[in-house]
Amino acid sequence: MAERLLTFSIFRYNPATPEIAPRMQEFQLDETPNMTLFIALNRLREEQDPSLMFDFVCRAAVCGSCGMLINGRPGLACKTLTQDLPDRITLMPLPVFKLVGDLSVDTGVWFRQLNENLEAWIHTDKEFDPKSPEERMDNALAQEIYEAERCIECGSCIAACATANMRADFVGAAGLNRIARFLIDPRDERSPQQVFEVVGTDEGVFGCIGLMACDDICPMEIPLQQQLALVRRKMAWAGLKGK
Amino acid sequence: MYLQKTLAKSPRWEAGTELVELFTGLFLLGFLQFHLFAVSSIILGQETFNRDSQFLDEYYISYIGIPLVILAILVHGLAAMRKAPWRVEEMRIFLQHSRRLQHLDTWAWLAQILTGLGVLVLSAIHIWSTLSTWPIEAAKSALRVQSGHFSLLLALLVLAEIHAMLGLYRILVKWSWVHRQKFTKYLVYATLGLVALGFVALVVFYFTSVKV
Repeated sequence: MAERLLTFSIFRYNPATPEIAPRMQEFQLDETPNMTLFIALNRLREEQDPSLMFDFVCRAAVCGSCGMLINGRPGLACKTLTQDLPDRITLMPLPVFKLVGDLSVDTGVWFRQLNENLEAWIHTDKEFDPKSPEERMDNALAQEIYEAERCIECGSCIAACATANMRADFVGAAGLNRIARFLIDPRDERSPQQVFEVVGTDEGVFGCIGLMACDDICPMEIPLQQQLALVRRKMAWAGLKGK
Repeated sequence: MYLQKTLAKSPRWEAGTELVELFTGLFLLGFLQFHLFAVSSIILGQETFNRDSQFLDEYYISYIGIPLVILAILVHGLAAMRKAPWRVEEMRIFLQHSRRLQHLDTWAWLAQILTGLGVLVLSAIHIWSTLSTWPIEAAKSALRVQSGHFSLLLALLVLAEIHAMLGLYRILVKWSWVHRQKFTKYLVYATLGLVALGFVALVVFYFTSVKV
């Protein structure tokens, strides 16, 4: 493979120095084999500009902290190879989330708020007995729950969603996928009607207009179209049935 | 807790509006295709067209159907518009977002909104001009097509079919079990086929001889 000289156009803004307006800054870097954006950004910081801000922890698409707009599309920098991109690469921080600086955003506060609003935990009246054996679960059901659990909360689906971009209170695909997980989990004793009170709204599943950018962009390839449709059907049915 | 929000929040109303949008959309989708096939009977001749029109008249189907369709258009329009980006800031966010993302389904929403608005205006003209020369007869329709309504009706046909098929796509995406890649191409074929049928009907009207 012929070695390329890559041009990076990177969004720069530091909320701590508001007198310097947001701008795009260009960097050039020679491409190396199997280079990921993680490697490229670290080299840029080490060799060219130590003030460049971006987030990384795991480097292996597990932690979800390196979500950013790569040529306009949300994705994980650690999972994106420069060889799949053109010579000119534009990097911007994810929209919707609060900007920490440059490419770094705070997804943590947003997701914490989401999970608190959705009460995204098992609701049960059963007393927990640490000595008793675990309850058995059908393997197929466990797989189905796990499918939704694979979400790493990177925020790509939220950044790709037109509704979430326009309306700050929309729970987005990550939130609805999270609810789908509890709707099928028999250990959660909430009735569909109880979930409906929280999710059967315009901030919840009925705010979704089905543009499916979430489904196309999810770095974990969670089948979001089906997950959202599941929640929508269950919520419409719960709404029609009433209390 | 915010007083006005706590008092006004009603998942039942918000879910209900979504279902109203869904069912009026499905009703209008059904009506549009029925209307298209009924009008296309002109291809088989003026007598067939007039017989169909008289049948709908005789059994009061027109007199129940037309007011229902007008009501459905208004209700569907209002219900669907509630999610569109009307505020200037929202509109700019949506357009910038679409340009950045370069994602076909996201652009399709803009097409859905614009075709919807187009249908609203053009169908109003179409309904008005049809009702003002009631009852529907092949000769009157042909005269209308030949005296300047050809392009209006062609535009309405194309906009309405695109809007209906995008709507059906959206309904299937939102409610069905099937992945959208499996049905997208069939909806495109159906749109092309239905527009072609309507176009042929319009051309037949255009060349139908009208005794004045």
